[in-house]
Amino acid sequence: MSDFTADNGPAKGDAKSSLFHETTRTKRRNAAEARFKAYGIAAIATGLFFLVALLVAILGNGLPAFKQTFVTIPVELTEAKLDKSGNRNPEELAKVSTFGYKPVVTDALIAALKAEGIEIPFAKEKDVEDILSASVAAQVRDTVLANPDLIGETVEFRLLASSRVDGYFKGRVTRDALARDKNLDAEHLDVADAMVAAGLMKTTFNADFIFGADASESRPEQAGIGVSMVGSLFMMIVVLALALPIGVAASIYLEEFAPQNKWTDLIEVNISNLAAVPSIVFGILGLAVFIQIAHLPQSAPLVGGLVLTLMTLPTIIISTRASLKAVPPSIRDAALGVGASKMQSVFHHVLPLAMPGILTGTIIGLAQALGETAPLLLIGMVGFIASNMPDGIASGFIDPNSAMPAQIYEWAKRADPAYYERAWGGIIILLVFLMTMNIIAVLLRRRFERRW
Amino acid sequence: MNDMRIVRKDVDMNDTKISAKKVQVFYGETHAIKDVDVEIKDKTVTAFIGPSGCGKSTFLRCLNRMNDTIDICRVEGNILLDGEDIYDKRVDPVQLRAKVGMVFQRPNPFPKSIYDNIAYGPRIHGLAKNKADLDEIVEKALRRGAIWDEVKDRLDAPGTGLSGGQQQRLCIARAVATEPEVLLMDEPCSALDPIATLQVEELIDELRENFSVVIVTHSMQQAARVSQKTAFFHLGNLVEYGDTEQIFTNPHDERTESYITGRIG
Repeated sequence: MSDFTADNGPAKGDAKSSLFHETTRTKRRNAAEARFKAYGIAAIATGLFFLVALLVAILGNGLPAFKQTFVTIPVELTEAKLDKSGNRNPEELAKVSTFGYKPVVTDALIAALKAEGIEIPFAKEKDVEDILSASVAAQVRDTVLANPDLIGETVEFRLLASSRVDGYFKGRVTRDALARDKNLDAEHLDVADAMVAAGLMKTTFNADFIFGADASESRPEQAGIGVSMVGSLFMMIVVLALALPIGVAASIYLEEFAPQNKWTDLIEVNISNLAAVPSIVFGILGLAVFIQIAHLPQSAPLVGGLVLTLMTLPTIIISTRASLKAVPPSIRDAALGVGASKMQSVFHHVLPLAMPGILTGTIIGLAQALGETAPLLLIGMVGFIASNMPDGIASGFIDPNSAMPAQIYEWAKRADPAYYERAWGGIIILLVFLMTMNIIAVLLRRRFERRW
Repeated sequence: MNDMRIVRKDVDMNDTKISAKKVQVFYGETHAIKDVDVEIKDKTVTAFIGPSGCGKSTFLRCLNRMNDTIDICRVEGNILLDGEDIYDKRVDPVQLRAKVGMVFQRPNPFPKSIYDNIAYGPRIHGLAKNKADLDEIVEKALRRGAIWDEVKDRLDAPGTGLSGGQQQRLCIARAVATEPEVLLMDEPCSALDPIATLQVEELIDELRENFSVVIVTHSMQQAARVSQKTAFFHLGNLVEYGDTEQIFTNPHDERTESYITGRIG
């Protein structure tokens, strides 16, 4: 911009220029300023547009995952099929597998349809059972094993519908698509429509998606993110317990005690560089060191936490050092001046003043670690079904588990479009956690912000 | 305030409190203090004057080893406090600083309550046996700092909420709370308005009864008002040191005369 060329200004010796008249220079300057403002607004608008597009996509794709289609029917738990001996011996009851329960549930469905006068358009009536999820036999069996006295009675069950039926009500599955699908026929959908009309089938909120365990590839309707959430929780405990004390101790030493020389400069440069190392590098390091050399269990949240600790440390060290640096030197002088030792001045005065900054940095580091996927792939926290909640605290640390982002990745990889929907749903849950953590960080900063 | 009023108070031949011999200070390659010899008397206010960058603050910070916190700073020569070399290997600077307190250029109260500001020093040095003891120490220090009447009703209020002059008197009270023998003041009034300055100067005069006070100041009038001894520093050298009255009325060195008459600096 050529603000410095003077030829457009009022020439010397001109008649007095009026303040009411804009000179060419002023006009150009104002125009440049207006242009710059327009660029800024355009940039912000673009950013906002992408943000809104992202939110719409996430909510649009993910919200259906929180709802699920259920079939509510009375099931007659016939003694002849489930407990032939009739003595309710738990061991004998357990011998009846899900194959034994399947016909019971199918019969109950057929009976319920007939009771409502819904026609069954199949040559073999039994084929109608595909409306139900493959998991229902197990569900009924678990209920019976937990409470054998139910045998012989007719109990109302809330059973999962199959993912195709569920997708039909969510608009994901169409009748045309079913023509190429071996799992379900269009006739099933007719029955499903009739069941909805009769009040046997309903799409409602599904808490199991949030609290439940993952399921096999063929049963997306059963899958939940709860177990991997617990895996993430245990990893975060490891990260917090290791990264916070190590990071804070390292920063205090580097910032307050270490002499300024080549070695500390080198360490400083390396810490900054570590913060920029791709997370997958930490993953392969963890695989080599923690699993292959130290023989820690594979896929365990303990190992995941260790790897994420390595990754989070630079973030915590950098933010801790920044907040230590922000404490004015006059406070240190004051403490030293009344005869406090170096350590007393740090722990009595500097550290408490830097604490909000340290906590903010730690929470942001944790949030980063919570969303990290790549290193978890390398230490094996994906690719299997995390089907059970860990059994106690030790098991939570060392038994194979998954983590939220790894679970989402796993779902997104699976072929069934029902899993695609669940991946989006998982992202909503993950984002809620991350936003909560960031909001806490912001509130902490606001609450404890100090002025000198 | 009568500018250039020379305080005609008896300058007794007090004992020497601090004796510096051939002190050299280096900041990396820079030779900041050259060959300074000075004897600081007990129960006396000694003023260091001189133009900016002449080394007077640097020398002051040598007297309680605050320069130790600067990595590249190196001190040579001897500084004796009551005959003991404070740069001896056996000396712990923390113990030294309990004997030689310091007040800084900008008031720097801790962001804590007024009470805790004063009580911090006595606490870490274990000067109080119990809470009542500590209360007494705090009150005595605040009275000595001439700020008791202003803050006695709000000892729980944060020290940072006081006005600039009050904060500086609080810092002086904090420094005297640990019962030091020497009080170093690095331009204590440069961030204060004239009224607060007057209060602090009166306070310094009172402190003379109990402590040896060394004050660095930019203002020659202030040096003349509060001190009995004056040292003039120029370019890292101690040019002239003597009774304040003599320095201001009959300087021996040409540079001193130029400075106090306003021709240099």
